[in-house]
Amino acid sequence: MGRRRAAAADASDRALGGASTLFVAFLVVTMRASAQTAGGGSPTPLNDGDIEILGRRNDGLRVQSVMTRITAFDQYGHGYQSQAGPVLGPGSERATILEPQLQVVATQGDRLTHVITVPIDVVTAASPNSISPKSVDVLSGASRHVVSGTLDWGTTYRTDSASDLSMMSGLHLEEPFRSWHGGLGGSHSFAGGDTVVSANVIEVFDWFDRFDIMGNRHGRAERSSTTASIGVTQIVTPTLLVGANYGLTLQQGELGNTWNSVPLTNLERGPEILPDGRVRHAFVARAAQFLPWNGALRLYYRFYVDDWGVVANSLEGQLLQRLSPLVYVSALYRFHEQSGVDFFTTRGSPDLQWRTADSDLAMLRSQTVGGKIAVDAPIEGEVRVLHFEVGYEYYVRDNGLSMNIVTCATGYHF
Amino acid sequence: MSVRAIALAAATAALAACATVPQNRRAHFADPMMGLRDEPLDAASRQKLYDTREGAAGGDGTTAGGGCGCQ
Repeated sequence: MGRRRAAAADASDRALGGASTLFVAFLVVTMRASAQTAGGGSPTPLNDGDIEILGRRNDGLRVQSVMTRITAFDQYGHGYQSQAGPVLGPGSERATILEPQLQVVATQGDRLTHVITVPIDVVTAASPNSISPKSVDVLSGASRHVVSGTLDWGTTYRTDSASDLSMMSGLHLEEPFRSWHGGLGGSHSFAGGDTVVSANVIEVFDWFDRFDIMGNRHGRAERSSTTASIGVTQIVTPTLLVGANYGLTLQQGELGNTWNSVPLTNLERGPEILPDGRVRHAFVARAAQFLPWNGALRLYYRFYVDDWGVVANSLEGQLLQRLSPLVYVSALYRFHEQSGVDFFTTRGSPDLQWRTADSDLAMLRSQTVGGKIAVDAPIEGEVRVLHFEVGYEYYVRDNGLSMNIVTCATGYHF
Repeated sequence: MSVRAIALAAATAALAACATVPQNRRAHFADPMMGLRDEPLDAASRQKLYDTREGAAGGDGTTAGGGCGCQ
């Protein structure tokens, strides 16, 4: 068993390394091709006066910023889907997650902007680890934690002063799970940039090992998620910016993790059974208002509805205050409420067509409070601005889950 | 009557949005505090938190599902 786990982890590492190599090769080829395209477009030559003011044209890759962030999540809670507890009672949802992230933004000539993002999750979770250690576990074995990584790459091409097109792609790897995603988008500004309309389509394809609730593996499962969205951003006054967005997501395939369990009326546990399709609608409104005492108020509202019976409302307010030209602080409050899915149960009949005891799909209310301090220090030399940020948030749900979140970020703007 | 009032308010708001704010009066929007969205890594981290703890993900210009076998 240990050898098999080690081999799986080794294969996962090799797959991650191979994918990274392929990605870098693809990036280099694409950059060369686009450089040739840009060169073939006969850009207007700059005269000596322009060069003196603007500098010499540079079609090469130029790094604009590098941002790093590390976030720690410390979660406590119980849910009926977890087997880390009494047979018919809620089990532990204790989890710790360490998430380092890296983002590099680079421009290539006047029109291309590349954004590469690499988040990595190191997860230790009680719920999957509780599944019989005699069987194949659903998370990495020996150290009871799993490392997962994502590689996201997005490129934006500015077609003219008012429009741009973008594409994004990426992959996600963790031991029992693989995921690929790609998308296209575009935006156009009107009225001198006062109004910006944008739209995008994103496709996610996941494939992963299918386990039963005892941890035994039964082949592979897959799911597809397609999201289309359209949005508009509007400058209303010199101090007020608003935005709205509508998104539609269609999902097909295995929509559970396959090893969640449900306490049954026959005093045993059975598998979660979910429909194989889901249609989700979300409407989002945002506003940012500058305040006369050198502060800002951000508001966010989201309405969500889907065909599993969930109706949700989320409201968030963020108050920001600049303390000096370099430093600002912010305080955040978020409230979320949702109805549960129609087939949520904590003691289901064995004959039910659909059933879940997943606490995430129950009727719940959650609140988040937090704050952060950010510093943008201009410095001499190659790096123009050094960004530093540290923050804390507390997340709590009324159905028995809470989390402490600490985040720290450092950024370099060149 | 109420329909007329709502229509009038909507038309007024729409017309107000047509008034262009000159470039030299947009200085406040350059302040990072005035962004409609959080810094991208912060936003991604928070979105993932809510996507995997609340069964109401998706829309919002981003995708739903994926990762951790969650809905």
